[in-house]
Amino acid sequence: MRCSKFESLIALYVEIDLAESDERLVEAHLETCQGCREFAADIRESQMALKELRMDFVEEAALQEVRAEVLFHLSTPRRMAPWPKYAIAAMLLAGLWAGWLWRARTAVPLEVQPRAAVIAPPDLAPAPAARQLVRTVRRRHRQPGPAFKSEPLVVKIVTDDPQVVIYWLVGQNGG
Amino acid sequence: MEGGCVDARDEEFARLVKQAKAGDAVAFEAILGLYERRVLLTALRLLNRNIEDAKDAAQQVFLRLHRSLGRLDENRHFASWLYRVTVNVCRDMLRARAHRPALSLEDAGAGLVPAAADDPVRNEQRRLIYAALATLPERERTAVVLRDLEGFTTSEAARIMGCSEVTVRSQISNARVKIRKFVRRPPRRPL
Repeated sequence: MRCSKFESLIALYVEIDLAESDERLVEAHLETCQGCREFAADIRESQMALKELRMDFVEEAALQEVRAEVLFHLSTPRRMAPWPKYAIAAMLLAGLWAGWLWRARTAVPLEVQPRAAVIAPPDLAPAPAARQLVRTVRRRHRQPGPAFKSEPLVVKIVTDDPQVVIYWLVGQNGG
Repeated sequence: MEGGCVDARDEEFARLVKQAKAGDAVAFEAILGLYERRVLLTALRLLNRNIEDAKDAAQQVFLRLHRSLGRLDENRHFASWLYRVTVNVCRDMLRARAHRPALSLEDAGAGLVPAAADDPVRNEQRRLIYAALATLPERERTAVVLRDLEGFTTSEAARIMGCSEVTVRSQISNARVKIRKFVRRPPRRPL
């Protein structure tokens, strides 16, 4: 294995992040390679400097600000954002529209069956028997019929409203 | 994990989570107090020491925690869960602000107090390391922050980042090599 390949292993070896088999491989290589020993020393040094950052701490003011903001957010009642209201309204409208469309599609259409109309041509020359009938009818009209002299029938219709009562006068002659 | 982390397995902590679930605001505030330093510090490191972004991220993490209390298992590894949320929130923020210019190293670091502020050599080294971290790709920076700064094991870091141990090991290795290279030969332009 070339030294460049060992660099990534050495970077893990210095912090004991390697499996035992890889550790032995790296140790064997370090015994024979001066360049890689220097590389390992450099990595150890930069790792020590990196770990110095563990000692840093945050200012109390920043912590208090975070805490105050969090508690403020939790204390204010959460209001419903406007968009869900619009979304719900839009969904309801869409539902209504879809229902209307569905009903319109499934309703049984009134189908008018076409029928062949048979229209008889007008008689140009009326039959003699018909003429005779017309005459007979005329004759009957001339004679006065018997006169009905009876009381009109009164129909009383009671509605739900006690104030409204409908009277219907029906003549015996059908009027 | 190093540093004696507070864990949901602790009886006291499990009790706090249970009370917070039941709507006890004091219990939630106590949980907030236990984790706020670590969440804010991690966010600062992941967000290249931008204090305003880190504060926003920490707020989002705790608001998300409050929303998720009902689904939270008090016997689960709570610290891992909280770090996973922190990593995800920071990653979303980094993506959202990708078009924004990064803070200069002079402006970065507000709100962060160095342990050895009066040592110029250590301060310079610290500045270099932060600059090196800022040059790393987001996944490599996250891996090295979790492993080398927060003290998680590789398997814990993999669980938090949602990837395999092999991937995290490769990211950590790449990051360490790049940091070493940066520290040995920092760029000539002013950092």
